[in-house]
Amino acid sequence: MANTAGPLNGIRVFDMTLAMVGPWCAMQLGAMGADVIHIEPPVARNAGQPGRPGGSIPGVPPSINGNSIGYISWNMNKRGLTLDMKDPAHRANAYELLKTCDVFLMNMRPDVAGRLGVDYETVSQINPGIVYCTVTGWGQTGPMRDLPGADGQINYFTGMSTTNGEEGATEGELYRHSTQMDATTGNYACQAILLGLVARKRTGKGQRIDLSMMRAASALQTARMAEYLARGTVNPGLGANAQVVAPDNAFMAADARYVSVAATSEAEWAKFCKVIEHPELLDDVRFATNSDRVEHRNELNEILKPIFASYPVDYWVLQFRRNKLPHGWLMHWDELRNHHQVMANEYMVQVPSDQPWGDVWTGGPPYRFSKTPAKWFATPNIGEHNEEILAEIEAHRAGSAGRS
Amino acid sequence: MPGPLEGYKVVEMAEGVGGPYVSMEMGDAGASVVKIERPEGDRARGWGSKAAGDLGATFVSLNRSKRGVSLDPESAEGVAAAKKLLADADVVVYDAGWTENPELTPEAIMALNPKAIVLVISAFGGQGPWANYPPYAELGAQMTSEASLSLGTPGAPPVRIGNDNGAMYAGIYGLQAVCAALVARDEKGGQRIDTSAFGTLIAMRSTLWAAQSNPDEWWGFHLDSYIKPPDNGYHCKDGAVSFNLGRMSREERDEMYKAFNMEWVKDDPMFAIVDEDPAGSGSRYGYLVRPVWEKALKNFTRAEVIEIGRRFGATVFEKQDYAEFTNSDQVKAVGMFTELDTPGFGRVKAQIPPWDFSETPAAIQSPAPTLGQHNAELLK
Repeated sequence: MANTAGPLNGIRVFDMTLAMVGPWCAMQLGAMGADVIHIEPPVARNAGQPGRPGGSIPGVPPSINGNSIGYISWNMNKRGLTLDMKDPAHRANAYELLKTCDVFLMNMRPDVAGRLGVDYETVSQINPGIVYCTVTGWGQTGPMRDLPGADGQINYFTGMSTTNGEEGATEGELYRHSTQMDATTGNYACQAILLGLVARKRTGKGQRIDLSMMRAASALQTARMAEYLARGTVNPGLGANAQVVAPDNAFMAADARYVSVAATSEAEWAKFCKVIEHPELLDDVRFATNSDRVEHRNELNEILKPIFASYPVDYWVLQFRRNKLPHGWLMHWDELRNHHQVMANEYMVQVPSDQPWGDVWTGGPPYRFSKTPAKWFATPNIGEHNEEILAEIEAHRAGSAGRS
Repeated sequence: MPGPLEGYKVVEMAEGVGGPYVSMEMGDAGASVVKIERPEGDRARGWGSKAAGDLGATFVSLNRSKRGVSLDPESAEGVAAAKKLLADADVVVYDAGWTENPELTPEAIMALNPKAIVLVISAFGGQGPWANYPPYAELGAQMTSEASLSLGTPGAPPVRIGNDNGAMYAGIYGLQAVCAALVARDEKGGQRIDTSAFGTLIAMRSTLWAAQSNPDEWWGFHLDSYIKPPDNGYHCKDGAVSFNLGRMSREERDEMYKAFNMEWVKDDPMFAIVDEDPAGSGSRYGYLVRPVWEKALKNFTRAEVIEIGRRFGATVFEKQDYAEFTNSDQVKAVGMFTELDTPGFGRVKAQIPPWDFSETPAAIQSPAPTLGQHNAELLK
């Protein structure tokens, strides 16, 4: 099952995570070939694991045969081990396993690691080469340090939900674009761990890395926030308009579907006017440069609306593609998963599984390596690999090679 | 102490958002980054509004920690100068279609420098009918990946994500892949990596795709919350909050209903379904109790909703704009911004890198270069 062809083949990850951020991060490492061991409390002590039997938090609906789709889709590419960190024998096994790991990952509140005996001091003493990464909601310091924080709260607190809305709206629907802040933080944690592994090649040492959801969400908004910091103003809802480029919007075509089009440079603006057969716009002083067009965005949109309404989406897509201009349209699930572009790049994969949830469609690797392919494989059930991993731990303890 | 990528050389042949972001991250992480611009400059230099004095804050915020050169990739001198930089690069960040010149394509770069990791960023991926389309198609990628569906209202005009998420995700995933390839490089040598705004937006929506694997259970338009209803945003008298019940007991919940003057809902059958079976029907019918919550919370100020909610164990936070966020006590305590003097732009707040490394700290190296600022020192 494991992806031995991946670039991280030979790296082992102690994945002591729950909910989405940590599991998502480790899942990326597993796809790229690391041996990720997802450690969970046994079922009886499993309260709090989203979507798990006995857990107090329900999973992302829908579930499949009682298993949260969240749990299933955030824990692919791993092996599953259950350990009760409050039981001394189990803790000894965890410490033995840590000796063979390159990465330690945890996403719990700042005080939990110490309680479970896996604070940095302890873990780095067991294994000085380990890259030890913790992810919290709000950081290791500050007045909000110990507060809970997850996707929705981080989205709202960091301003993400104010970056857009329906056109002209300053209040109204409160957008949150579910799971993006969790996944984003998981991805920044994954970067940090990999940077730590690259640094280890030079220094020969492990280190401690801290990351918070608040800072990851804020980093994702680097450019948008920079515009605020430079200008001091916040845009109202702009619908499908871009904030700093015009034209860059979605227009209703003749078949009542929306086509998205843009001109992101002056050269593209010249081509754009040619493609829509309105070269006179090039001579209009209101639209001379991008910043002029941004300023007169509404007037430009009013001119463009009837033009795009005169042909169907397919016409515009073909015209814009021939001229290498930005374009897109809304694709729904069935259209998307069967689209040649998606299949050719394996951007969606159907992951086979013998577990009660069966085969699952999900996003595949978004990167394609020419030599060391990433690969998606099935989520383990709780404790699924207990026997084999415990045997590996025993073998390591006995002084034999241990690492398979 | 030097950063994690100390000693690595990066050449960027990219513009806009995704490519510049990933190479800036490498610069912050200690790599030596050279940005090559065509004579007309990165198009993002012109992304802005009159209010910002024309110069793009986007550009400035995505191009620090680099040195910059300008050259014409269609000219013989330009090709020779670029090749000199590329010959000993460890990583090359390359926008698909950056030049048509066969001497500077990704294939040519890999032939020139077999130990290089060449990251190619495109709009829709390196394979398939739209292979290697230039990556400046943020809205196109957002729409094509159905991302905007989770924001708008069914039947109403689409709403895009107000951040360049597609391009940023391509950069973020790009750095993961580049670092993984660097870990494997001693054994495997250089290689090409393809990523795209389209592919990364699809990956980021994995939960939603997986949810639709079970069509009998999938009923939604938006992906629902994974915490109990009413996990959502609510308007208060003077602002808005995100609000969910956290791990509240039934007693705490009933007390909180009282405090919000909505105790009658204890006897409401819809609330009974939602509160008692949050993983099943409760979550499915969250939208039916939402109007009740909306009405109740509208009678309180944001501070009151936060105080009352937290008193009973609810998870409640302010909805903030950038002004409130960047000035919040938590941001100040954590220390997320520094001031940076950028030539031609002025002194503004800049966000420091998000990772805290104990041994190899990342840090901003230098402000964004002006066009061709380092030609004299780098193109000799």
